Amino acid sequence: MAPSTTVSQRKKIKRKAPRGFLKRVFKRQKPHLRLETSGDLLVRFCPFFGWEWGGKVHLNCLLFVQRLAEESRMSAFENKCGVIKKEHVQAAAKVILKKSRG
Amino acid sequence: MAEAMADSYSQDSEPTTRTLLRRVLDTADTRTPQRRRSAGIGAQKSLLETPSSRRLSSSTKTNARRRSQRARSIGRLAHVQTSGHLEEQTPRTLLKNILLTAPESSIMMPESVVKPVPTPQVVQSSRQESIRGSLELQLPELEPPTTLALGLLAPGRRKRKLRLSVFQQGIDQGLPLSQEPCGNTSASSLTSSLNLTFATPLQPQSVHRPGLARRPPTRRAVDVGAFLQDLQDTSLALASPGNSLRTPVATLPTDTVLEDTQPFSQPLVGHSPSVYHSLPCLSYTEAKDAEKAVSHRTQRSGPKLQNHSPVKPAQLLAGKSKKVDALAMSFPNTSSAIAGEDEVEPLQGGVGENAEERMEESLSVSEVKDTTGTQGSVRTDKSDRNETSEAVEAKEPEGSSGDENISGRTASPELASSTTEFLQARQLQFLESAPPPSTAILSSEPLEPLPTRLPPRARTLGPRPRQDPHKTGLNHYVKLFSFYAKMPMEKKALEMVEKCLDKYFQHLCDDLEVFAAHAGRKTVRPEDLELLMRRQGLVNDQVSLHVLVERHLPLEYRQLLIPCAFSGNTVFPAQ
Repeated sequence: MAPSTTVSQRKKIKRKAPRGFLKRVFKRQKPHLRLETSGDLLVRFCPFFGWEWGGKVHLNCLLFVQRLAEESRMSAFENKCGVIKKEHVQAAAKVILKKSRG
Repeated sequence: MAEAMADSYSQDSEPTTRTLLRRVLDTADTRTPQRRRSAGIGAQKSLLETPSSRRLSSSTKTNARRRSQRARSIGRLAHVQTSGHLEEQTPRTLLKNILLTAPESSIMMPESVVKPVPTPQVVQSSRQESIRGSLELQLPELEPPTTLALGLLAPGRRKRKLRLSVFQQGIDQGLPLSQEPCGNTSASSLTSSLNLTFATPLQPQSVHRPGLARRPPTRRAVDVGAFLQDLQDTSLALASPGNSLRTPVATLPTDTVLEDTQPFSQPLVGHSPSVYHSLPCLSYTEAKDAEKAVSHRTQRSGPKLQNHSPVKPAQLLAGKSKKVDALAMSFPNTSSAIAGEDEVEPLQGGVGENAEERMEESLSVSEVKDTTGTQGSVRTDKSDRNETSEAVEAKEPEGSSGDENISGRTASPELASSTTEFLQARQLQFLESAPPPSTAILSSEPLEPLPTRLPPRARTLGPRPRQDPHKTGLNHYVKLFSFYAKMPMEKKALEMVEKCLDKYFQHLCDDLEVFAAHAGRKTVRPEDLELLMRRQGLVNDQVSLHVLVERHLPLEYRQLLIPCAFSGNTVFPAQ
């Protein structure tokens, strides 16, 4: 197997939430909707202004990714494969996307 | 000396005076400048004594004039005065004869006459300013440079050096004239000669510096021998081109003076008038220019090189003649520019054009190399070195050129105890700064290598293709996926994850819109998200949202997401 085809497990990740990215995604999908921000004056001066929504979206997305990864890993184990392949992810995504439906 | 003095004092009768005068004339050559003092004493005595003593003093004066060789007009003046005095005296005929014959004898006097002059002069020049004050008559047109130098930096050592150079210049001027039977009288030569005569009485005071006094004679010995011969040769060789060369030589120094503050360029100007005086013999002027430049350089570099200096011009002349022959009058001006610019540019060292010129000079140097095949391999090596250095200098024209000159100057004498090698190096240096007129044309040469060099440097990877921000944001979650997977995975799998994430966000946004629309608002609130998570099965009765936040989000986010009671009966974030 060529080394370029596989990506080893990532040891370190950024735990910061990409708030801008999440907001952009939502605005791209639903430009007519607004995102709720905290109306509290005290919180206005907080650096994480309007974080509540973004944080929860991030948490939701994080959980989705985690579940997807777990599922794909399970599928990879089922196929007795040491490397997660495209099919494994696809199989896991079918399940998880259905579960994550609102 | 003592004998002469004794004779001058003892004599009274006419026949004795004649003999004495003859003896004085004979001994005048061998005498040292101290004779002047004796003459002064004689003059003092003459006031009280018989006219014969006065005659004596006058004769001594004439002798001094003879030794100075160049003060022809002053000598004439002295003649007139003495004759006026002597017409009343009885032995005037004798004196007249002597005096009339005197100038010719002085002119015909070989180097032996010349020798005693430089010794006191050099000592003088190396003296303090007080003595300098006494020598104010010396070369009035050469004074400004000295003052300039004093005003510029005024280190004592520099002054001395400058004076030495000035004096050497004067000597160089004097020599050819004295050897020239048809020497012309000029103001500069006059003053210099005067200075020479006046300088003599101060000699005994400076005896305590023998080292300075000794130096010039050695230099003289080299000078007279090789210099004259080469002059004769070059005069024949440079007969025709000399006239064309005349003008640039005269003009160049003045230009340099205008822009240059260096003291050494000034003497050239002072010298330029003398060039006109000695016009009949072109070779002489050439030689003088060359020697002058050499003398300046040597003075700067140090007294150590003085021995080499006088011989250089001869070689230079030879090389120049060769070059002229080789170029066949193609550039009549360039060869002349050698004389003119060489003196100035290396001294300046900071001229920006120097490098450009050198680039072209390599060509001329090569030409001359071909023509003068007799020159040894040393010269070729040096030329190569110069060329290489020129290539380097193209980038940094300033400073390095001057350094190179200095290095060449200092290194060559050390290497070559024999003067030939040094002369070759000198010749090269002269030739280096040869063709100024073609600078404008060839100035583009140093610029050419730069563009050729640039392309490889400029050949870099272009700006990275700007990635889609949406993709970069997705990449963050893809990384999270690879972290949670705890397994190696294929790249195609990652692409699949991206697709899944796209689908997920699409669903998420649709769900949020539906929830907000169901609540009758157009604003998505955090409650909608909580409801979504509850519907997704992530949040249930056992597992609240806060628990999930505590599990999966870092501490900073937890503080912001989970309401907590703070001091002052406040809850943050507000519920």
